Amino acid sequence: MNAFDGMITGFQVALSWEGILFVLIGVIVGTLIGMMPGLGPISAIAIMIPITYGMDPAPALVMMAGVYYGAVFGGSTSSILLNAPGISGTVATAFDGYPMAQQGKAGKALAIAAIASFFGGTVSVIMLMLLAPALSSVAISFGPPAYFALMLMGLTAISSLSEGSTIKAMISAVAGVMVVTIGIDPQTGTQRFTFGNVNLFDGFDFLIIALGLFAIAEVCMLVLNRKNRSLSDDQKLGSLKVTRADLKEMSGPMTRQSFVGFILGVLPGAGATIASFISYIFEKRISKNPEEFGKGSIKGLAAPESSNNAATSGAFVPLLSLGIPGSGTTAVMLGAFLVLGVQPGPLLMTDRPEIFWGIIASMYLGNIFLLVLNLPLIPYLAKILSIPRPLLISLVIMFSLIGVYSISFNVFDLYMLLVFGALGFAMRVFSFPAPPFILAFILGGMMEQAFRQSMTISNGNLAIFVNSPLPLSLILIAFLSLVIPGLLKWRGRRRLAKM
Amino acid sequence: MLSTINQRIGLILFIIAAIYLFLSFQLPNYPYAPIDADVIPKGLGVLMLVLSAALFFSRVIETEAEKEKRNIPKKELLVLLAVFAMIFFYILLFELIGFIIMTTVFIFFSSWFLGYTKWKTNIIVSILFPLGMYAIFVFALGISLPRGILPI
Repeated sequence: MNAFDGMITGFQVALSWEGILFVLIGVIVGTLIGMMPGLGPISAIAIMIPITYGMDPAPALVMMAGVYYGAVFGGSTSSILLNAPGISGTVATAFDGYPMAQQGKAGKALAIAAIASFFGGTVSVIMLMLLAPALSSVAISFGPPAYFALMLMGLTAISSLSEGSTIKAMISAVAGVMVVTIGIDPQTGTQRFTFGNVNLFDGFDFLIIALGLFAIAEVCMLVLNRKNRSLSDDQKLGSLKVTRADLKEMSGPMTRQSFVGFILGVLPGAGATIASFISYIFEKRISKNPEEFGKGSIKGLAAPESSNNAATSGAFVPLLSLGIPGSGTTAVMLGAFLVLGVQPGPLLMTDRPEIFWGIIASMYLGNIFLLVLNLPLIPYLAKILSIPRPLLISLVIMFSLIGVYSISFNVFDLYMLLVFGALGFAMRVFSFPAPPFILAFILGGMMEQAFRQSMTISNGNLAIFVNSPLPLSLILIAFLSLVIPGLLKWRGRRRLAKM
Repeated sequence: MLSTINQRIGLILFIIAAIYLFLSFQLPNYPYAPIDADVIPKGLGVLMLVLSAALFFSRVIETEAEKEKRNIPKKELLVLLAVFAMIFFYILLFELIGFIIMTTVFIFFSSWFLGYTKWKTNIIVSILFPLGMYAIFVFALGISLPRGILPI
């Protein structure tokens, strides 16, 4: 099937009444959850997963994808209106979006963000449509050693690119794999770290980890910040109108940063947050008047917004074609696939074309929905920001509890949710990044399997990872991605010491 | 000795890693598996020992922002503890008493406890939300939630 036939299949899924309905539900829910300060796309996806139980995989996954890019789209609203980013991918949006809002141009800022997001999202879907099938056909020949090396590279990349200390990020990743080893080993049947507790035999469901480390931990942060202001009723948004001159001004950054965002989204470890910062700095560097940045520059708003949305679709490339997520958020997306019995990877395109192409096609639709919904409805959607924090906290706790209960009907899992919630909170307080943990948790089982398969092939000889060029180069990249940032810091410190 | 927070965390992680590694060595071995169930855990345990030692000895100074994040007033920590206690009691009782009643009680009291003063809205939300969720899960998705003492 070539890309053209594929897209026809995809649009048949996306444009069926079910497809349209679930894209719509996905993007609306994603936008609303993404807007809430503190609740990120990981929580949004994890909270929505129980809803998909028993659904057809294609519409369910179309909806989950919608939740993801909808959340990135919606995150900008609270960045602009409250200077409290809804998600980490829209922190850079607040740099120029919030000053615009303070100047009474909130409506205009929201409209620019929506247009830039739409543009970035759409350009990125076109590239996703072209790149994902190509990568799938290459990846089909990858053996277990290459897969193991790829996953290792994903983990080291996310660790070295995480905010703050690389050591802490690596500890977070190793801890994530350690938690996966709890339970019955699927290959030998050995019980590992279960202490004979029946509830631990199957290990932890990823939803417990995702909701605990993210939703519950984010709730804890909300409890601490519950007195922060929410949107007041009298805040004026101003006109939503974007002039032709504005469009002309934003067209350059929008186009450039859509490509930058897409590429950073495809690469493991980077994702929307890093993409938005890099794009912001990029545009500021090449701008003729960089002093305007940070004071309500249209360019400074359009750049991160097109970039973070482009990165979101870009992140689907490795997820769909390799079956390997490159970020915490796509790791939870992978979990959503697996819950529905769909294994993404090189075979997805040929085995389940309706899912592979359906998701891609639905993204065109979803981006149009987001633009149409957001432009006229932003003032009404933004009302959700005036939900009182105490009520929001109680409801998110309930969503998380129901979500975990509905996977196993086991109260033990609910206590574990509480434990991982406390762990997630502690990690936030002591500056250990949580995305490496969830990525490692999702990849851990697959990595162990790939490692043992490789060892079985080579009869226990570790040289299998360095004997062929692909695994070798991936492992080298993995190694360098950890070492180079450390070396740069060390050199920087030595230079400082000399001065 | 334990002057910085990273040293304290490093020490705790080192102990956890040591226990994990000890337990990994207790795992049974089978003679003919090229890679047995204990290999990866042993590797992870060693890696964690090394990383926690690296954290202990790293001379990276905590940034102001990181310090700020750690600085939580005692009173707020108690509030958080109370929320966790409420969740704990919810989990303890909800299969017995039932989803609808416990959820109503939980939402009302936790929202009130966290400083929500509009009690009329609070009552409406805490009654409508569980009813709505119950309808969606039980009737639309076919996932049963504990009925408890209520007849429906």
